[in-house]
Amino acid sequence: MNTLKTPAGVDYSEARQHEVRKTRMVMMDGNLTANTQTVEGGSSARVLNNGYWGFASIPAVDNASTEKVAKKAKENAEAMGGFGARNKLEIPSDSYQGEHGFNGKPPMGQKECVDLLAELNSLCEKKYPELRSSIFMFQEESHAKRYATSNGSLGLNSIHRATCYLFLIAEDQHGQPVELMQAISGKGNLNDLNLTLSGLEAELEELHGHLQAKRFAVPARGGEQAVVISPELAGMLAHEAMGHPCEADLVLGGAVTGNLVGKPVASELITMVDFAHSYRGEELMIPVYADDEGTESRDVVMIDSGIMKDFMTSRETAAKLGIASSGNARAYGFNDEPLVRMRNTAILPGTSKLEDMIAGIEDGYYLMKTGNGQADSTTEFMFGIDLAYEIKNGKLGNAVSDTTVSGTAINMLKTVDAVSDDMYWECNGYCGKKQPMVVSTGGPAIRGRVHLGGQ
Amino acid sequence: MKINSIAETALSQMLSAGFDEVQVTASITEQDELNIAHNEASLLRSTEDYSLSLLGIVDGRKATTAVTDLESDAVAESIKQLYERAQLAPQDDANRVSADQTGHFEQGPLQCDLSLLTAKVKELLEYRQNETPLMNIDEGGGSHARSQEVLLTSRGSRITSDIGCYEMMVMGTATEGDQSSSFNYTGGTTNHLSGTHAAELFGIGTLLEETQRQIHTRSFEDKFQGSIILAPTAVMDLLDWLLGQIGDGALISNSSLFADQVGNVIASPELSIRSRFDGPGRAAYTADGFVAPPLGLVQAGKLTTLTPSYYGSRKTGINHRPCASGWMIDPGETALADMISDIKKGAMVNRLSMGSPGPNGDFSGVIKNSFMIENGQLTDALSETMIAGNMAVMLRDISRISSEHLDLGSQDFPWLTIDNLHFS
Repeated sequence: MNTLKTPAGVDYSEARQHEVRKTRMVMMDGNLTANTQTVEGGSSARVLNNGYWGFASIPAVDNASTEKVAKKAKENAEAMGGFGARNKLEIPSDSYQGEHGFNGKPPMGQKECVDLLAELNSLCEKKYPELRSSIFMFQEESHAKRYATSNGSLGLNSIHRATCYLFLIAEDQHGQPVELMQAISGKGNLNDLNLTLSGLEAELEELHGHLQAKRFAVPARGGEQAVVISPELAGMLAHEAMGHPCEADLVLGGAVTGNLVGKPVASELITMVDFAHSYRGEELMIPVYADDEGTESRDVVMIDSGIMKDFMTSRETAAKLGIASSGNARAYGFNDEPLVRMRNTAILPGTSKLEDMIAGIEDGYYLMKTGNGQADSTTEFMFGIDLAYEIKNGKLGNAVSDTTVSGTAINMLKTVDAVSDDMYWECNGYCGKKQPMVVSTGGPAIRGRVHLGGQ
Repeated sequence: MKINSIAETALSQMLSAGFDEVQVTASITEQDELNIAHNEASLLRSTEDYSLSLLGIVDGRKATTAVTDLESDAVAESIKQLYERAQLAPQDDANRVSADQTGHFEQGPLQCDLSLLTAKVKELLEYRQNETPLMNIDEGGGSHARSQEVLLTSRGSRITSDIGCYEMMVMGTATEGDQSSSFNYTGGTTNHLSGTHAAELFGIGTLLEETQRQIHTRSFEDKFQGSIILAPTAVMDLLDWLLGQIGDGALISNSSLFADQVGNVIASPELSIRSRFDGPGRAAYTADGFVAPPLGLVQAGKLTTLTPSYYGSRKTGINHRPCASGWMIDPGETALADMISDIKKGAMVNRLSMGSPGPNGDFSGVIKNSFMIENGQLTDALSETMIAGNMAVMLRDISRISSEHLDLGSQDFPWLTIDNLHFS
């Protein structure tokens, strides 16, 4: 990469060189249906002048290209003057300098990956001949971002993540297809996940056991129910239900959280944080030491023992809300402008034991796996539930057919009466908000009341 | 940037490297995007993107790559690595590239008229301020994109395109005091931005007005079985599920509910689904190098074809029918007002927020930005309401299709009455 030069003669500017590398391999019933690697990289510049922003990008990092985008970004900010004169926007001016790479294991070779995928397929054919289909997917994604800002920030951020997906499809008792998926994700490349055939065999055995139960699943009862939400799902709850409504751009757009600072929004057992890069002294899966505006990233405590506290910000949204910038401005690709995005969002663990939490429910559900979720400015949330079990008299019962859970977070979180002492992190999938984004989520199991879809 | 010569050179280099068959796609996209943030024009974003996608097959073994560094040394290194990766892939006789497909697709405005785009964004902002002041446009704006592409294969296919279009989009919430609506959004693509007020494009004005009426909501007090009217903005959820069922993933994994249903009635006889592969911003060819003729996918409820890719077809033995993107549903003969008045208890569903339906089609989801229908009247906006059903059954339970329709560019759908959904 060449030397970064920020556009001069404007109120604020930044320059970024950003490369994204991805690998994706899919084996479907022994057929390698995807075997691809991509490399996308380039330069961008963003300018703030007279209250308007201009941005430009090009997929090249030579000096001529960086000068070209700097000039174009400046022209674009000036062109916005067509919307009328505007006062200068004063944004926080703090800066950060630092380089943060990742030293993981050497990557798995192509042959190793293909062989492991083929071995997984053979294993399933041999152990689970009744399956309709088995699908395995390996994905790696790495980001290297070099940035500079006109107020003195200069640095390098790196994010590397890998995911192994296991999908099994069987037939239910009525001959209809029924499926389950397990994702194993972490920081680094596939080798850093320590994938071994024996380890994955154990994962498959557990997944197959749940799938067998799901073949005979009963429908969920629609309406409000007592539930224990697994740690895997609680991370999604943190991200979707309260994370998005605590993004400052949504707050400025009218999210209900804007009026709730200092007020109770959850049980005293709930503390929720968007971590910048570390938790309990260990670097997290999506470490952001400084964001793409060159702001040093800090942890944002959104809910502290049930009380709404703080929001995630960019420089601009921090200025508009009159609070400190938190280093949450992130861009997905070289051709994207930074937006307020989460990093590592989690509900913090409590003191209860998961088995006691289940034992404490007379009639309810244990919600274990989710495929996706959506948020709302009202804190109303939705998750698809791919795996759940009935709880009857404190014990797990029948598996439950695919359903959906919904609620309003500021109501649902007030019903939480137990939080487990364990913690589960994952970083598979993407958060979507104009651009995709890599994030991680974490959480313990929590017990409360939610609305289940069903008859 | 001469993408023709880049593609031809790469194709030649790949064959020289030892590949038996290759496909090369070179593209360049230029975009100008005027962004709104919180009811104000905020950012002008200009991007220039180019990409070279390479697919190589050697001895039945396949690998693909895509790069943005088009310098000759970088491309040569990508081809070398691609060949190494392909050699390590398992053999699969289904791997082949398209043969003898030719075509040139060109449509839409190829140059951005920034003053026109600026005028439309101003219109939108003024409309919001004057007509729907409770609505906050959090994100949105207008953009123009031009994409040029060359797709070549070693078996004689050569498909080129040069497509320009404008796009407008709004997303936001309405607020009053400390009350907020759910967020709502719409948008679409067009070749003709001038001549139509911004609020009249893609139902934007209607959405801004309806969202204002969604600040104060009510829930149904009981569980019941009732009808919904699925608005055009939510119809794509139903269509996406059907398209997934008749595409590669479900067909290869033998999990499709429709694998043996070609020629059979799978939906209400009222329903006909047709391609709009030539909609604004689209070109009628597939990523695997096939020209895609117009397609009547469902005709009076009958499924006419499955849509595997060329690979999926060779893998499963199912007939190959090239399928690009962009769809429309034929309008019906019933006025939307009459559809509403026919429903005693149900909902007008503008957005479905749900997880992926199960492979058997079962789903449950939260209905958002939606209104109650009580005794034939649209009444209050709904909150915290879920519906449950089965996608395959929903296709069969379509009882009315509106004569009105909403044109979003690449999609053009009417409103659909669907019966027998479970509300909770």
